[in-house]
Amino acid sequence: MELFLYTALFSPLVGSLFAALFGASPKTKIAGIVPSILLGVSFLSSLILLVLVMVTGHTIHVEMMTWMATGDLYIPFGFVVDQVSVTMMIVVTLVSTVVHVYAIGYMDHDKGFNRFFSYLSAFVFSMMILVMSDNFAGLFIGWEGVGLCSWLLIGFWYHKESASWAANEAFIMNRIADLGMLIGIFLVYWNTGTLQYEEAFAAMPSLEHDVLTWMGIFLFIGAMGKSAQFPLHTWLADAMEGPTPVSALIHAATMVTAGVYLVVRANPLYDLIPNVGLFIASLGAFVALFAASMALVNRDMKRVIAYSTLSQLGYMFAAAGLGAYWVALFHLMAHAFFKALLFLGAGNVMHAMHDELDPFKMGGLGKVMKGTFIMMTVASVALAGIFPLAGFFSKDLILEVAFVEHHFIIYTVLLFTAGLTAFYSFRLVALIFHGEDRYKHFGIHPHEAYKFMLVAMSPLLVLAVIAGAFKMGYFNMVTDLLPATEYHVHSATTYWIMTIGTQLFVIAAIVFAYKKYTSKDIKVPDGTSKMENSFGYKLLINQYYIPYFYENYIVKAYRELSEVFWTKVDQKIVDATVDGIANVFYQTGEKTRVMQSGNLSTMLKWMVAGTVVLLSLAVVFGLAARHSGEIKTFLSGLGV
Amino acid sequence: MLDHILSILIFFPALAAMLGFVVNKESMRSYGVAVATIEFFLALWLWFAFDANASGMQFMEHIALVPTFGINYIVGVDGISLFIIILAAFFTMIGIASLGETKDVKNMIITLLFLQMTMVGVFAALDAIVFYVFWELSLVPMLYIIGAWGGPLRIYASVKFFLYTFTGSLVMLVGMLFMAYFYYQATGQWSFAILDWYRLILPESFQPWLFVAFFIGFAIKVPMFPFHTWLPYAHGQAPTIGSVILAAILLKMGTYAFIRFSLPLFPDASVYFMYPIAVLAIIMIIYTAMVAYAQKDIKQVVAYSSVSHMGVIILGTFALNVEGISGSIFLMIAHGVVSGALFLLVGVIYDRRHTKLMSEFGGLASVMPRYATIFGLMLMASVGLPLTINFVGEFLSLLGFYKQSHILTLLAGTAIIVVAIYMLAAYKKMFFGVVTKEENRNLPDVNKRELIALIPLAVITVWLGIYPKPVLGPINTSVESVVQLMHEKAISQEAKTRIPNLDILINKTSAKEAH
Amino acid sequence: MEIGLNHYLVLSTILFAIGLVGVMRRKNLLMLFFATEILLNSVNISFAAISHYYGDLTGQMLAFFVIAIAASEVAVGLGLLIVWHKKHNNIDLDSMSTMRG
Repeated sequence: MELFLYTALFSPLVGSLFAALFGASPKTKIAGIVPSILLGVSFLSSLILLVLVMVTGHTIHVEMMTWMATGDLYIPFGFVVDQVSVTMMIVVTLVSTVVHVYAIGYMDHDKGFNRFFSYLSAFVFSMMILVMSDNFAGLFIGWEGVGLCSWLLIGFWYHKESASWAANEAFIMNRIADLGMLIGIFLVYWNTGTLQYEEAFAAMPSLEHDVLTWMGIFLFIGAMGKSAQFPLHTWLADAMEGPTPVSALIHAATMVTAGVYLVVRANPLYDLIPNVGLFIASLGAFVALFAASMALVNRDMKRVIAYSTLSQLGYMFAAAGLGAYWVALFHLMAHAFFKALLFLGAGNVMHAMHDELDPFKMGGLGKVMKGTFIMMTVASVALAGIFPLAGFFSKDLILEVAFVEHHFIIYTVLLFTAGLTAFYSFRLVALIFHGEDRYKHFGIHPHEAYKFMLVAMSPLLVLAVIAGAFKMGYFNMVTDLLPATEYHVHSATTYWIMTIGTQLFVIAAIVFAYKKYTSKDIKVPDGTSKMENSFGYKLLINQYYIPYFYENYIVKAYRELSEVFWTKVDQKIVDATVDGIANVFYQTGEKTRVMQSGNLSTMLKWMVAGTVVLLSLAVVFGLAARHSGEIKTFLSGLGV
Repeated sequence: MLDHILSILIFFPALAAMLGFVVNKESMRSYGVAVATIEFFLALWLWFAFDANASGMQFMEHIALVPTFGINYIVGVDGISLFIIILAAFFTMIGIASLGETKDVKNMIITLLFLQMTMVGVFAALDAIVFYVFWELSLVPMLYIIGAWGGPLRIYASVKFFLYTFTGSLVMLVGMLFMAYFYYQATGQWSFAILDWYRLILPESFQPWLFVAFFIGFAIKVPMFPFHTWLPYAHGQAPTIGSVILAAILLKMGTYAFIRFSLPLFPDASVYFMYPIAVLAIIMIIYTAMVAYAQKDIKQVVAYSSVSHMGVIILGTFALNVEGISGSIFLMIAHGVVSGALFLLVGVIYDRRHTKLMSEFGGLASVMPRYATIFGLMLMASVGLPLTINFVGEFLSLLGFYKQSHILTLLAGTAIIVVAIYMLAAYKKMFFGVVTKEENRNLPDVNKRELIALIPLAVITVWLGIYPKPVLGPINTSVESVVQLMHEKAISQEAKTRIPNLDILINKTSAKEAH
Repeated sequence: MEIGLNHYLVLSTILFAIGLVGVMRRKNLLMLFFATEILLNSVNISFAAISHYYGDLTGQMLAFFVIAIAASEVAVGLGLLIVWHKKHNNIDLDSMSTMRG
């Protein structure tokens, strides 16, 4: 058992180190193939573990070695394979295997090929630690590890200013959230005396409600950073500067869902504090709508998908916040499949279009890139939540959860967002694959991606279609660990009205999108049309001016304040005070130096003066000593 | 030999340095490396022979100097000082081994060996006067290194460094004399032995005054805000090796002394001053991190980052519980390794381009990939990424202080954000982007001599990050006895509750009331 | 009127004051020596007087001691003075300022 666990965990690390060996040498295929194979091994081990857990219901728990131990604190490197973590392991290893194989083709012409695989495998390793760890500290290792790898990979093309800027932005924003996470961990430690999940969760019911609330809030702040929830969301869209496989793996399927995983993992805590849960759900619903609205008008293919990811993360949080942890996890899984597929398809398109990202400059690509066209369409259908694809089962379930739990505002928001989702997904599909061949104006000759890349994507395609079928089996497995609440709308009529209504609404949105964006008079927008000058459009295309606000009021303020601290405070006040004190002595010396003129008679005069002063002092003190009694009474008479 | 190993560790480099005057110039480098290596292996032997389960002092030596006034040559190590001594030996070794082309190599090596004597002496001394002597002596070689091999402003920088720290330690000396006088009052005997002082319970009203006297000496050395301004000048002007030793070892004297003197001698005053000091530490962390962000010179960035990290160490020290103090000691080691490595790395690029301005670089990642990788690793360690050495210390320090104050820890925790901001910004300026300057296009990557120093540091950074136990274990044992001692000595109820009672027996240091 | 201790002390003080003023005002090195001699001898007077007053010979002994030292001092001083005069052809104090700080 343990062998499979360690294989699953460490083969990505081995792959990463292997690729790192070739880090400085020119591109070798082997640096991509070996990590991919090792990831395949990792996936197989995870699969075996999944079967074991599913069949036997047993969980595996190992403690590899001590990490930190001081005072009462004891943190081991411990790993656990239970129903939740094995789900994550499957998702992570499957998507990353696919992405690795795909990337062998995608990064074919890149100078940093070997380096890329080293980073990518290191990411998978960190992600595995994150999901497999049996304690909060281990989670934090993975948490920061994926942050590091995400920094490396977003800034992979470091010669681009925008890429390294986005990488730093992502890292720093995540760090802000990590502080919350860290504080949450401290709270857990000082209140439960341990960081092991099991013991900590067992101790929680006896704690005060306030403490638990703070715990939940701070841990959730950590989750907000990694899962890019408002107001820490801006980094995710900018992270699209990284290579597309990275976007598919890290910024769609795995890392960004770490926050959801955390909330699911900490379900005993969040069950105790339903108020925080409601906040999470509300924020999730808000982000779902907020992100979807930004996706409506964006003219960068990858950013649209990124906003869509953000929106779907909102759905997951909405479910998790309402206590439907298994639903959240299920949507996480389904989403990982179709969103990774969507991104990889977008990668194919990007390659075909020579890194052009504006879908308005494409059009009609469906004829040239059949495979990609089909895959992206299927992924979009799944994303939109059309029966019988994966998205239908997972997303509809979230809507039902909101409905059953009587949170109708959340329900309405999520329902409306479902329509928006369908619209922007098919806006993208329509603009890229249908309509006129607008790309011809730009002198581009698109071509389909390598065959093996399409083959690599096919598992995702299959899963995006059939993942819904696993719902019941999955439910049975995962509810050994998570609250087994089934969400059924009570009356069958209501259920059917809801389901069919939702489907019709979504289909209507798709049809509308198709109608609008396949038409022949779609032109590359040039900023003159009426819509582009409307307030709403400007608001959305500028992302509600939030990045602008951050840049001008936070980043700039920080930079200027730093400058002031250095040039004004540090140099002009702190250091100048020290130098000032030193100068007093120096100046005194400088002034009194003239006494030593070297002229004997002046010096003799000083000597005489000194003698006189000393003599007078002797007299004064002598008198004072003799009359000390009288002086004391005199002074006390004065009230001193 | 083991009985006198500490004296050997202290005086062997000094003797070797004196002999060094007769060694001829060509063979000086290998002579220096040989001496430092022997010293390092002696230090390792010390670690090997060290009993990790004993909390008290080990390898103690006692030679009477001025018995009438209780001044004796007493040395000994415990888990707190052991690793700093090893670190000092280690850094001297790799410092000499990786010494670049310098004028007057012979004198430099002799100076470094003398410096090593003083460093080991400070951390091994258990008599306040001996401690003070080594403490002050350590200024001289450093003054010489900055003044003789420094940059254009070297005279100003070295004099400032010397006078500033010297002034502070004079106040500390007065404190020490008072301490000995109190001991005389209480027992009728003079003693400057620290272990004797540990037994003394000072009245609550005296403690703050003595605490402040010691504090000034230590705080300038650390350096704590607002006494930190000598540091950027010293680092800015010092040659690479000077900065490395200064950051890695000399600064640790201050924080070490807090744990050796301030905490166990004045437990009530420590509790009394905990919040003000924590506030200072937080100012150090945030303010200097922001100042670091504004720097244009990469070496100044690293210099200010040192101050910022020392803030976390101070905070951990004044957590007054085992987690925090262990963490702060571990962070001393960690910061020594990481900041030492960063200064070495800055030295690498300075040797090649003779400038430290970040605007002169850009795109170095493609020109010097190995350099960029090692720099990246050290940068991430400095940022405090888990599984690097810094994280363990930082995590424990903050965790410890969280017990004392939630809100202050939250503020101090911004360290992990601000450090990321200035470090990543600096890294981006130097390594990312395209190569714009013609002279950067053909810079050679790190060479073998530089790797001799950098590889071991990189290995330690990762090794102790993943498996800190060999170091953390002995530290923990000694810290537990310090905390227990503090708890037993504490007079006020506030201090009794703030300092946890561990219910362990501490040998030889049972408290005795002073009258 | 009997001449008592006070008279001697007053004389000594007056002489001391004269000597002091001389030390401070004189620019001629030779005159400075004279002034120093006056200073020393004023002290000698008070030594002798007080010694006589208490009937203790220690004071007078000390006076002799001072005389001896003063003599040797003058001897050395005059020697230096002559050398100086030979070299610079003056003994003006203001011209001797090589020890300027």
